[in-house]
This record gives sequence, structure tokens and C-alpha cells, in this order.
Amino acid sequence: MDPPIYYSKAEYIETDTGNKVSRRATIAGPQNIILGGKTIISSGAIIRGDLRRTGAGHAVVISLGRYCVVGEGCVMRPPYKTYRGNFNYYPMKIGDHVHIGANTVVEAATIGSHVEIGKNCVIGKFTIIKDCARVADGTIVPPNTVIPALALFAGSPGRFVEDLPESTQETVETQTKRYYTRFQPLDR
Amino acid sequence: MPPTVDYHCPCLSQSTVPPPPHLPSSLHSFHPLHTLFFCEECDAVRCNRCVSVEVSGYYCPNCLFEVPSASVRAEKNRSKSPCFGARCARNCFMCPNCRNTLSVVPSDPPDPGDGRIAIPISTVGEPPFFLYCNHCRWDSAEVGITFEKPTGLAAQLQKFEDSAPDSLEFERLKEHFEPVIRASSLSSSTTANAPAAHPSSAAHSHRLRTNSITAAASAALARDIPGVSKYNPLARSGRGGGGAVGRDKTTNKDEMPEYRSRVDIASASGRGTGGGEADVEYMRHLENVSEVANLEQRWINSWATSLQTADLKPLRIPLHSKRSKRCPACAHILIKPEQKAQSVRYKIKLVAATYLPAITAALPHAQDATNADTAAKRTLGKSTSAAAADDDRGAGGIHAGKTYPFHLALTNPLYDPIQVRLTVQRVHSSASTAAAASEKARRPPFAVSLPSNSFAIAAYAEAWEYDLDDEDDLDEMFGLDDDDFGVAGRVPGREGAKDARGGKAKVVGVLEKKANMTVVGGEVVIGKEARGNVKFNMLVSYTYRSDDPAPSESNDAAEGLTPARAAAAGAGKPPETKTFAFYTVVDLGPIIPREEPRHVDPDF
Repeated sequence: MDPPIYYSKAEYIETDTGNKVSRRATIAGPQNIILGGKTIISSGAIIRGDLRRTGAGHAVVISLGRYCVVGEGCVMRPPYKTYRGNFNYYPMKIGDHVHIGANTVVEAATIGSHVEIGKNCVIGKFTIIKDCARVADGTIVPPNTVIPALALFAGSPGRFVEDLPESTQETVETQTKRYYTRFQPLDR
Repeated sequence: MPPTVDYHCPCLSQSTVPPPPHLPSSLHSFHPLHTLFFCEECDAVRCNRCVSVEVSGYYCPNCLFEVPSASVRAEKNRSKSPCFGARCARNCFMCPNCRNTLSVVPSDPPDPGDGRIAIPISTVGEPPFFLYCNHCRWDSAEVGITFEKPTGLAAQLQKFEDSAPDSLEFERLKEHFEPVIRASSLSSSTTANAPAAHPSSAAHSHRLRTNSITAAASAALARDIPGVSKYNPLARSGRGGGGAVGRDKTTNKDEMPEYRSRVDIASASGRGTGGGEADVEYMRHLENVSEVANLEQRWINSWATSLQTADLKPLRIPLHSKRSKRCPACAHILIKPEQKAQSVRYKIKLVAATYLPAITAALPHAQDATNADTAAKRTLGKSTSAAAADDDRGAGGIHAGKTYPFHLALTNPLYDPIQVRLTVQRVHSSASTAAAASEKARRPPFAVSLPSNSFAIAAYAEAWEYDLDDEDDLDEMFGLDDDDFGVAGRVPGREGAKDARGGKAKVVGVLEKKANMTVVGGEVVIGKEARGNVKFNMLVSYTYRSDDPAPSESNDAAEGLTPARAAAAGAGKPPETKTFAFYTVVDLGPIIPREEPRHVDPDF
């Protein structure tokens, strides 16, 4: 019933697993980024896979699950800190069915599954967001914040507002799946 | 704003007919589908406003530690303000200034070497340690709170808190009232047992499951305020209650000794606890407004505290709870979360979305308008479409005096096909009073037409079947479902379902069927003088195949909880089908009044 969301076919690259990545997005260090499949990286997004942990060997910097959307102009940057005198970046892990709104800056350590993050948010360093949480538009989440499961956070600094309904998981899952099916190419 | 469809919850009210949509009370009895529950026993919708809620576990929202209920119940729970509930007793603190979580930092943050001020984040370093807010840069050293080691902060802070005047006063109060509570809880526990002894309904005995403290409190209320006792649920049914209250009057009232506070209130202001002349003096010499702590920063304290921002103390984080929910009528569990605090799974989860068809409303003309807009944006202003979009700006609105089609998409969550019938609720003019007449005049005059026949929605198939999202597959599957349905659809009175198919050109009727979703079209005629929202109540009744044996149905009908089902039984339908009916309110959005452009014109 919902109308399709059209994108220009020339702009997006579709992978075998159904990821759709805009050519206008900046993907740094793609070898360190994992996309779970059916994930959309919108135009203007910046994903910093190059900011990896020091040391030899392969390192996953940013991993996204299935049915995620990284909105237009989003910045995804792994968190960093100086621990015992050593500066280091730390990996960022994001679950399935996570939508991140336009122009949001994410420096979280962990984002669970079925999480909705609004547009124009700042998710501070080492933030932990548990499953089915929601961050309202324009929220500033300070560093080291923990957002519990099924909580709605809003404001500056982001604070707990209310518990989300028990059916949030199903609602978000259908929404993200529907969004992916609606996101259709347009030849022009 | 897109059109919305909300579902009615009668909230145990006797009449299942919802209030008319233009009344403000309508807002409170309609809820979005995903917030509602469904009780299988009562066969009824329940909402968050009517379910009974029990705490099944506590956890700290910051450290996510699950706090055992026993330690929450334990005295005081290390809470600074005892009357404001349980707090995390570990190392979690909130900034008193901005309510952000505080972190423990050493007093010598490592120099990053680039000349910038380091933001201390790690707990490694030299003592003393203090609490620091990452957001507003408040730190506990400002108010003289520092720690020898970065662990066990709660214990280290405990001695400050225990010596605070408010906790001392609370201790004293508790000491004073403890014997009184003990005495009255003894007497009222006998009261509570009396009515429960004789046979009563399940709901009633559930209500009586109260602890001795509530019993004592209500007994005290009944004793001190004349006339309250007759509203007391404990004393309502039976002479036993009344007698006990009478006994309380004679025993307790006289024994209560007079309470004397620890600090005389008249002299309190002089000792920095706030209030009186000291505050007036302070405010008089105020230079910066931020020196005064605002109301939000102060009002969670149970004690009048100092007005000064400089005196704010770090706050302990209030615990959150996981809650199980019960049906208010039959006390069956509707929601039972898993024990683990951060699990989003439930042992029992009876939500309405798995029983009732989901309905979404759409205005095709509004969608066309937005589509044209986005198409224009996408093609970066290719001449024709952009011009078209500019022409009909505001085309998405509903104008008075016009006729609009609308779509309702119904999605079947059941594993069996269902038959649905939609009816617009007539606003019944029960009495021809002046009030009703004036109401009628105010009501936005619009007429809604919906398909009068019942129509079918195919069964829900597991999501993975759709995941292939191949159009051919979908069609095939859907074709199969339809055949299935043909068998079930032989029940008399349902012939209208299929004939509307294929008639895509018409406005009112079934427009589209796709998997377990059916789109029906309706039409709304807006009156010339209409204003307000196009908002109407719609009765949705659906027939489904039931697994229950026939006797249970007649039982339910006898209970009178669902008139719809009673009607189904009465009509002599085959026992394997059941009908359930519920009300929804459809809000298609505000009407743009006709006068508006005329008002604008003279201004220019």
C-alpha cells in the first residue's frame, strides 16, 4: 500500500546480498566494514572503516546487520580513547533492523537490534544502545551513556522519556523490511 | 500528517459503543493497535489504561544490573529521598545539573599532548577521584565530594547521605510510626480476611491481595476522615470491615503519641538547609541567574534544600522495572517478560496486533501529490513534473465542499482467512435536546461511504515466504490462498466478497488483494461549511475459523462480554466460525475551510 521510494539506479550499487550503497557515500576502509545484507547506505553518508585498532592483522571496524539504513549525511565513526597512555580506536557493532536518521553522527560502541535513531542526533562515544530502543529526532546522547532496552530517549542531554510498547520488536521489523522493499530503483 | 487509524478499548465499560469522535473523550479511549493487548479468556481488547500491572523485576538503567526485589524492598534501599522509590546502590550517579550519567575520573587527567584540555574518561590515575559530567562539565569536586578510590562509590557516599538532615528525619519518623503501623496492620489483616472468606469473584479476591501496609494506610484514612470508609474496597463488602474500622477508632487514635521533629523548623533556615531569611538574603545578592538551582534540579528532594546550584549533590539513578500485565476482568496474564533485564522477549505476550487485522488509511490524492513532489526532486527539476508539482501545491489537503476517495488497507495476522465487514458508526442522536442539536451543528458535516458487503482477507503466511519478494511468487501464493478461501467462503451471507475484485476503476469497494492484505476504497463527501478533522468511528467485524469447541462460545456469550460474539451464536452460524467486532476511529486529517483564500486575498 505504501508507495515505493525511488532512487536513481545509476547512483546505487547493489551487492549480491542485497546491500544498496550510494556512490555518493564516503566509505573509507571498506575492507574493515561488514554489511549484513539488505542494508542501505544513503547518499552523503560517511563511514570511517579506516579508523582501525592499531596492531597487525585484519580488524573489523564497523559491522552492520541486516535491514539497516544509514540515512543521508550520517557520519559513522568508531569511538576512540586513550587507555593507559595508548590511543586507540574501538570497533562499532550494530545489530539488525537499525534505522539511523539523516545527518546523525554515531560514535557508539554497540547498538542492538531493532533500534531506531532519529535524524540530527549525536550519539556520543562508547554509547551502548540495547535492543528495541528508540532515540528521538535531535537527541544529544552524551558519551558513555547506556540506553536500556525498549526505552525512548530524547532531549539534550538525552534522557529516558518512556517505555516503548511490548510489540516494538515486531513493529520495527515489519517497518524496516517494508522500507527495504519500498526502496526501488528508477531508470532515468 | 498521514491519516491515522486507532482502536477502541472499552476499558471494562458496560457500553461497547465508543464516544463520538468529535468529543475530547474520544482521544482517551482509542489507542494505536501496537499498544493494545488481547485477552483470550474474555475475548476482549485491553489497553495500558485498564490492565493491572505488577513489577516482575528491577534493574538499573545505567549499569543494567538486575536488583533483586528483596533488596529493593529492604529498608530505605540506600536512597537519598526515600519517598521517591528505589535507586541503584552501585556506582551509578546522575548529574544534578543536567541528569546525565556521571563518570568517575582521576584528578590528573593524562595530557593528550596537543595542547587541548583533556576530557577525562578513564578511571586510571591518581586519587582523589571525583564524579564528572560529560555533558555539562559539572564535577563533584565543586561541591566537595571526592573519593579515595574509584570503586565502591556508593558506600563511600553513604556516610554523607546518612548524616543528611532529611535522612535523619526520615529515620526518626519511621521509628515513631513503626509501632502504630504494626498494631494497625495486625487489626486490618483480620479485616481483609473476612470478606475473602465467603465466595467471591476472581477479580474481587485479586483486589484483596494487598499487603498489610496498604491495609494499614486505608484503615487510617477511613478512621481519620469521616465517610471515607464506605469507599474503602476492603470494608465495602461485609459487616466485618465496618466493625474493624470501629475498633481501630477506639484502639489506635488514643495511643498515637505526638511527633516532634528533630530540627525545629524556625531555626532550620539558619543552618544552611534553606528557607526563610537566609534565602531572601541570598537572592538579594544574586548576580547570575544560574547560581540558583532551578525547580527541576531541586524538586525531587524530599526535603527543602538549599537554593544554590553550588550545593547540588550527585543523585543516585532511579531503578527501572520490568512489568507483567494482567487482564483487569479475569486476571489472566497478558504480558510476562523474561527475567533477564535486557531481554526483549516475553514468556507470555498477548498483543492485539496478533489477533485483530491491522488497518492503515491513506488518501490517494495526497500520496499522488507527494509522489509528484519527490519525483520532481529526484529528477532535479526536469521541466514538466516540477511545473506540475508547483501548480497543485497543497493538493494533498482536504478541501471543504469536495469529494475524496480514501483507501483502507487491512492486514490479516491470523493463519486462517477472515471475512471482514466495515460499518461507519452513525452518531446516534439519543435525545433531541438542545445540547445535542448544537453539537450536531458544530460537527463537521461530511458523509462517508464504505463497501457494505463483507470481503475476504487471505491468511497470513510466514514472513520468509515473502522474503523472496518475487512478484510471480507472491501472485501464485495469493492465488492459492484465494482458492482456499473459496472453500471457507461457502458459509451463507458472504457472496459479496469476490465480485468486487477486478473492479479497479470504482472508488468504493475492494480495490486490491495482495497476500494477506486487502485494500478497500471508501469515499468521503465534505460539506461546504465543514471544518475540523475528517474523523469517524468505524465498526470492524470479522469472522474467523475458531479452534475452540462450541460450548465455550456459548459460555462467553452468556457472560455478555462480547455482544458481537453473542450475536454470532444467536444467528445460528456453524460453530467453527466466530465473529469478533471492534471499533476504530479513522482520522483522515484536517479539512481546509473554504473561506481561507478569501480571507487572504484582501490583505494583498
